[in-house]
Amino acid sequence: MPSYTIEELIQLKPSETLSVNFDAVEFNAIIEKVKQVQALKEEEYNATHHGHFNRRRSSHLHHGKPKVKQHKPKVTTDENGWSTFEPKTNEEGDSENNSDSATTPFTPTISKETVKVKPNNRHISSSRPADNSDIITDKQVHGFNTFAALVSDDEDDE
Amino acid sequence: MSVEEVSQKLENVTVNDDAPKTVLSDNKEFEVKHPLNTKWTLWYTKPAVDKSESWSDLLRPVTTFESVEEFWAIIQNIPEPHELPLKSDYHVFRNDIRPEWEDQANSKGGKWSFQLKGRGSDIDELWLRTLLAVIGETIDEDDSQINGVVLSIRKGGNKFALWTKSEDKEPLTKIGAKFKTVLKLTEDGLLEFYPHSAANDRHAQPSITL
Repeated sequence: MPSYTIEELIQLKPSETLSVNFDAVEFNAIIEKVKQVQALKEEEYNATHHGHFNRRRSSHLHHGKPKVKQHKPKVTTDENGWSTFEPKTNEEGDSENNSDSATTPFTPTISKETVKVKPNNRHISSSRPADNSDIITDKQVHGFNTFAALVSDDEDDE
Repeated sequence: MSVEEVSQKLENVTVNDDAPKTVLSDNKEFEVKHPLNTKWTLWYTKPAVDKSESWSDLLRPVTTFESVEEFWAIIQNIPEPHELPLKSDYHVFRNDIRPEWEDQANSKGGKWSFQLKGRGSDIDELWLRTLLAVIGETIDEDDSQINGVVLSIRKGGNKFALWTKSEDKEPLTKIGAKFKTVLKLTEDGLLEFYPHSAANDRHAQPSITL
């Protein structure tokens, strides 16, 4: 069995380039073309990702929390330069009922806050609300009325 | 002896023109070639640039060689490892063995594997040394356990793999020790043997470590 050491084989290396029995030009051309395609793809990738290689995909699409816009309180300025703050009223004539609020039961009111929600189609089949109107309907508007609770307790005790 | 005497003696020296020309006496028109133990085939795996390309399209035999001279001619005409694009593989396999673990000659064997971290310039030298040790048959003096050798160009580190026909620990340990010398590995350099039977297991542990 013929065997050659690494050193022996290196000694047998010809100093001039020999011809081969396959199309070396074509082989080299294929490799060069692959390198060009890879370079183009990398350039494209860098352009689209702006150099952020290690940024992971976000687990949400940035509408986790609906935007709630609070209306600004109305302030009017008279001729003398005095500004008057007008507290917001829930309903017309609400101020009249304030005097006997202790005796009348608590009535639920609809908030005038603007709730801006983008429906998320990913959760359309889940229990999460997908429609703006659903969110408003589901919004809890009943507050705990301490006075009403005390009254009912007294009645029970009797 | 004077210069004149030396010159006169040289003139009297007759060159035997009938002696066959070797690669050392005539670089281009040599007649005697140094035969190798077996025929070898060079394969190349082209990196996929299109999703439609399958593995069989990418892995292709390039050429075969049976002598030292033919080997050098090929080496001179193909790109060196550092010139190859990422995800390329060079395979040099004995005779007609395909560089796939499904091939009958490979199916009961495995591979000695080493990963060269970083894109060092010594990859060309180490690949050449590996090839010379394999085709010169000095890495496996006892018997022909070696089926072929693979170089994989990867981003995380280039891989050298020496494919064997069996998983026998004793001969493989000898081969592994020589492979370490060829790759100029120190004690820290870890050489691992993976049987092809575990090729599908991504978390397979090496059966031999040197």
